[in-house]
Amino acid sequence: MDFWLSYATLAAIYVLLGLSTNLLVGIAGIFSVSQAAVFGVGAYIVAYLLMNEIMSFLPAMLVASAFCVALNVLITLPALRVSGDYFVVTSFGIQLLATAIFTNWTAGTGGANGLPGIPPADLFGKTLESSGQLVVLCLGAMALGCVAFWLIMRAPFGRLLRAIREDELAVAAAGKNVLRAKVSAAAMAGAFAGSAGGLYATFLSFIDPSSFDLDASILLLTMVVVGGARTLAGSIIGPFLLLALPQILTLIDIPTTIAAAARQLIYGVLLIAFMLFRPQGLAGEKL
Amino acid sequence: MLALQLLCNGLATGCALGVVAVTFSLVYSTTKLFHVAHAGVFTLGGYLAWSLTTRGVPFIVAFAVAVAICAAIGASIQAWLYARLERRHATHLVILIASLGTLAVMQNIIAAIYSPNILQFSLPWASEVVAGGGSIRLTVIQVLIVAASLAAYGGLMWFAHRTILGKQMRAVASNPFLAEITRLRPRRVHVHVMAIASAVVSIPGVLVPVDLGLQPYNGVTPLLTATIAMIAGGVGSITGAFVLAIAIAELQNLSLLLIPGEWSIGITFFIFLIFMLFRPTGLFAAAR
Amino acid sequence: MSEYLSATGLEVSFGGLRALQDCSFTVERGRITCLVGPNGAGKTTIFNVITGFLRPDSGTVSFQGTSLDGMKPQAIVAAGIARTFQNLRLFVDLTALDNVIVALPAQTGEEPLAAIFRPLHVAQAQTKRREEAMRVLDHVGLAARAHDHVRNLSYGEQKLLTVARGLATGAELLLLDEPASGLSAAALDQIMALLRRLQSEGKTLLVVEHNTRVVQQIADEVLFLHQGHLMARGTPEQIISDPALADIYFGGAI
Repeated sequence: MDFWLSYATLAAIYVLLGLSTNLLVGIAGIFSVSQAAVFGVGAYIVAYLLMNEIMSFLPAMLVASAFCVALNVLITLPALRVSGDYFVVTSFGIQLLATAIFTNWTAGTGGANGLPGIPPADLFGKTLESSGQLVVLCLGAMALGCVAFWLIMRAPFGRLLRAIREDELAVAAAGKNVLRAKVSAAAMAGAFAGSAGGLYATFLSFIDPSSFDLDASILLLTMVVVGGARTLAGSIIGPFLLLALPQILTLIDIPTTIAAAARQLIYGVLLIAFMLFRPQGLAGEKL
Repeated sequence: MLALQLLCNGLATGCALGVVAVTFSLVYSTTKLFHVAHAGVFTLGGYLAWSLTTRGVPFIVAFAVAVAICAAIGASIQAWLYARLERRHATHLVILIASLGTLAVMQNIIAAIYSPNILQFSLPWASEVVAGGGSIRLTVIQVLIVAASLAAYGGLMWFAHRTILGKQMRAVASNPFLAEITRLRPRRVHVHVMAIASAVVSIPGVLVPVDLGLQPYNGVTPLLTATIAMIAGGVGSITGAFVLAIAIAELQNLSLLLIPGEWSIGITFFIFLIFMLFRPTGLFAAAR
Repeated sequence: MSEYLSATGLEVSFGGLRALQDCSFTVERGRITCLVGPNGAGKTTIFNVITGFLRPDSGTVSFQGTSLDGMKPQAIVAAGIARTFQNLRLFVDLTALDNVIVALPAQTGEEPLAAIFRPLHVAQAQTKRREEAMRVLDHVGLAARAHDHVRNLSYGEQKLLTVARGLATGAELLLLDEPASGLSAAALDQIMALLRRLQSEGKTLLVVEHNTRVVQQIADEVLFLHQGHLMARGTPEQIISDPALADIYFGGAI
């Protein structure tokens, strides 16, 4: 039973990440491999604030989300003003830089050994420690995220983003500020990723740089690609499916030294296969 | 003096990086695709050569075989993946994702077969000191890297400006639509360009690991630095990419005097930010 | 008296190709002006310069006395100039109605926060916008096709939709890039009637056209462009009956 609760909790957190990546990549069409970095920033901020008893859970989450919003805006704004391809370089750079900081800034992030002993989340005075409570918290957060996503996409903003994906030039010719729309999408993506990070930190009570590296960003991309771009269904299916993958793999006898490589290999194959044969993913719209 | 040694090391690294930058630029300016899987080809070359040399094959033969296989792989990626996606009018985002997937596949197949740990070549001649004036030491392999990289740069310049394929490539790069309707067969040119770029990038791909060792995930950071060199040098300028790569490598190395090595990616990224904010077209942008 | 729209000394080069050379012209308010000339004369380039998509190497464009230099495309639309594209550039996966709605100016709900925190307000505004867009579609004669996806519209209907999109921005000066090309006779009549109707409502139109019949029927004035330079201007009859211009246009000299 505990296993299923754990799976559901983690999946809920990754759905938030999936919504974030979907906003950025699926909807605004911005190629991003730095989502895991932002996820990590959110996690480390909440961990730091909770461990040093500076704030309780909800304010810490707000701070982390706000910071990640600002981070995403800072990353996308200058790069998008120049041209789409520059963003690829920026995104790779940010991700590698973030990994370097997470691994080497021992004072702030605990370095390669990470931060153990993160206190559990507390809500209105009650500490949430049991797996049952945690799954409710995370599924609740996931539900909130889904509602927000749905509202955004139904609104003119969603339509604007759809049009931008089709033909930026025509949208600009219709008098709309394309850059501001994309940066707004990136900002929202930051909020989702930052909150996911905070939840992750309190759920696992231990974080280290290996959860927030380039491989993790590739996993996030794979979730959106497999689940499907631009839809709520896709953002939910992708994470649930791909988090089940490692469990399925344990049924096959793979030596532990190459288990990680085997997983990443499968993600790579999935990316290629879906782009070639099913760009809309399982439940999404064509990328 | 330490600074001088760092400068020498930087020259070797910079030249190798320069070849990565130039070959990446070749592909980017012709196909307009951000071929991130280039890092995978770069990595593959080294492992292929290692496999052969550890089985007793003479280094020069192993080198040639690695180059040939990399050329074939690069051409295949273009012909069977990118071209297929382009025929279906896939967006650049889709092709980018496919390229990233290819990179992940290549790196992780290597990690699965060869283990994720660092492997070393056992070529004693490589680390023999060639020049040593006082406290400066240059090894054979470092000199070889510089020589081979300069030769590669010269070769690509000659190719781009003097051969028919090179001129076709530049024509396709400057006006793909015109190229299409004047029967220049851009798709075929793309395959050739990828083959050449992949072959040439495997030169540092083999030589650098002889000096520094092999690791499956070591291709991404050099590729990132190389793309920044390409942008800072001006997209379309082969010389610009090469020169800037050396400049960045030297700056990275000299920064070691002030900050620890793990942060050198910060230097590279900082340079990128400066260019993006103040001079996005680069220093030697091609006329347009 | 300051002109409605005037371009002075525009120079645009792409590499070695001079697309516009010392190009100057004026457009008068309330008239339909046609821009004609052989292929490569620079007509679309002029549109790109006026609408801010291309910065000229030198020269200026001013609209109602204000210079448009350095203005971003969305600012120029806000100033009252909208354009259509030769290759349509419609949002294919959206409905006709949505295509028009996107072009309506300044909508609440276009920033994500409003969508989340004021959903009712956004929904109300949406209804108003929908009505406004329907009015625009009705104006061009596409009301019946409002909820059809663009790919299900006929070519003629798609062309009407591009005009509708331009109208939705509220622009008073419309730059139309070959609105009549590739149309059947019936669709042609429909579009020409629409253009004349727009003029009678006070809009100014600058139209790139190749079809001499269309030019004769709707143009108040014709600007003949050749090799990036204004070669001649006059009434349709004057331009069309000039043998030297006809030679350039049909003689193949580019």
